[in-house]
Amino acid sequence: MPSGLLIYRFVGRELRNRFAGSIWGGFWALFQPLLQLAIMSFVFVRIFSARVPGLGAGDYAPFLAVALWPWTAFADGVLRATTSIQENAALIGKVAVPRELLVLSSVAASFLIHIAGFIAVVLVLALMGTGIRLSGLLPALLLYVPLLTLVAGLALICASLQVFVRDLSQALGQLLPLMLYCAPVFYDRMQVPPDYRSLFDLNPFTFYAETFRAILLDHGTFDNGRLLVACVVALGVLLIGHVLFRRLKPHFEDFL
Amino acid sequence: MSALLVRAEGLGKSYPKVYRSRDRLRALGRLLLNGANPDSISVLRDIDLEVRRGESLGLIGENGAGKSTLLKLITGVLTPSAGRVTVNGEIGALLELGAGFHPEYTGRDNIAMSAALHGLDAAELRERLPQIIEFADIGRYIDEPVKHYSSGMIVRLGFAVVAALKPDLLITDEVLAVGDESFQKKCVRWMQDYLDAGGTLLLVSHSMYHIQKLCRRACWLRAGEIVMQGDVFDVTQAYLAYHEKKSAPAIIEEKSSAAGLEFSVADVALNGIRSESPLILQWGDAMRVSARIHSRDARTPALAIGIIRVDGTPVYGVTTDMDGAIPLRVSDHEYACEIEFEALALLPGSYTLRVHSMDPEGVRLFDTAERSFVVRGTSRETGLVRLPHRWKSELGMEGPA
Repeated sequence: MPSGLLIYRFVGRELRNRFAGSIWGGFWALFQPLLQLAIMSFVFVRIFSARVPGLGAGDYAPFLAVALWPWTAFADGVLRATTSIQENAALIGKVAVPRELLVLSSVAASFLIHIAGFIAVVLVLALMGTGIRLSGLLPALLLYVPLLTLVAGLALICASLQVFVRDLSQALGQLLPLMLYCAPVFYDRMQVPPDYRSLFDLNPFTFYAETFRAILLDHGTFDNGRLLVACVVALGVLLIGHVLFRRLKPHFEDFL
Repeated sequence: MSALLVRAEGLGKSYPKVYRSRDRLRALGRLLLNGANPDSISVLRDIDLEVRRGESLGLIGENGAGKSTLLKLITGVLTPSAGRVTVNGEIGALLELGAGFHPEYTGRDNIAMSAALHGLDAAELRERLPQIIEFADIGRYIDEPVKHYSSGMIVRLGFAVVAALKPDLLITDEVLAVGDESFQKKCVRWMQDYLDAGGTLLLVSHSMYHIQKLCRRACWLRAGEIVMQGDVFDVTQAYLAYHEKKSAPAIIEEKSSAAGLEFSVADVALNGIRSESPLILQWGDAMRVSARIHSRDARTPALAIGIIRVDGTPVYGVTTDMDGAIPLRVSDHEYACEIEFEALALLPGSYTLRVHSMDPEGVRLFDTAERSFVVRGTSRETGLVRLPHRWKSELGMEGPA
């Protein structure tokens, strides 16, 4: 079991790697999301005049933001962790470092960065007087726990398969945007033809997009049953990831 | 008997043959279904090895013999494909140049990272950091990114970290060779102190000098198998003899070309033995060198004898010319000469003897023949030879009145 200090150092290393060489360093972690929010508000609200039925014109930006930032943490977490073993091949061949640590510290770094961005965006939106409930911020952060569990599981699966099948990271780069468009992030499930609505439940991110909105915007309902299902799914995926990773990790060195 | 620190039983390692990406997919399928990993190239087979606490073991062998693989299996960087290895203690390993260092980070940051990897907590690191920086002795480079380091500096830093950890078992893999003379000496001195304090060492080196200096036992690997294991002198001698034999065809060629020389060394025997393998002497034994010289023009040659230590340090050289000795004429073109060193003053170690044929004037050197020999013994004196000496027990005997 890796020590707390080792985990701290590895996550620190990951964070530094992401901002390595940039002058403003960690400042980007907060500035980037705000800039992105401004651009998206302009494009979607001013140019496309995007509206969600039942919501006002000014409500689209927060509607999109509270689901898009968790998605970024999800996609970035999975994608970066997938190549984490491969990219640390030099370390793996020379030092007896716990292999899981490389994957999990990559996921942790992604979440730390994007949760910071999420908080910044939520605070700015609240200050601008949109319909965001600040009291929902803490429950929203708690919702990141099952999301993190799910991503950790997916990351362990993808990282161990990536060592053997290098095409995986390429395929994920295509699959993840597809998953984003097939989740109610840019639109509401109610805008979809009724025949397809139930299909959205197959997408694991649908629950998170809708629940973040329910918590922070009172849009839609918060369903305890669905939360339970999401937690079970997240733990199941983590278990599968753990078993698969443990099975394959003795052979990583041979295939790197 | 002290406690067992490392135990390897039937240890083996093989790498899967993967040439195309399709092979990787097939290998993945096999691993998932039954855990077996067929179609592999074996690099290490049936290794049985035991290292006890306080022991020092040298691993020797040619390139590709499996030395580094064995070390990686012991440190846990690699997973064995057969057998098992158990280690009962903390390992400090210096496996490869810059092992685990991040090129973008400064030396200081990398020290912190390595220390964490070796399980040092923040307080212990703070306490040992000055010591590490002092040992590495790379000046202001400690705050520069490691990518700007020379390979010698990387080794300095790596060794300094491992030295500060004081591990139960120290493993180094031919990294000393990169450091400069003074750093090598510093490391060797440190390793000797470490061994004196009860440390355990596993050393891979191509320098028989380092192996013999630091290790009591040696293990010779060839093509993934142990050829010989035991006392360091026996194993290194056998290993060197193997190398001499390997390069023997080249020597024969030289000889045939040497036959055309005016004066060539036709034959050398040490204490009457002609074998290529090293002669083993006990400390203080006599050594007799008999040489035959072929003289093309039937002129009487001169002969030079030189002794050098295995690391190349010259010890002694003398010629027939200097001493006024004249080689004996055996036939028209054959001359014989013998020199005896009675009670050889050389300290225990490995040496090479060189016989050179020279022109009658003792000016030009024509041909060279080499034989190696080992002086055995348990003397703890240092240097090359024992100088005649006497300790005076009363001081001031010769002092001013």
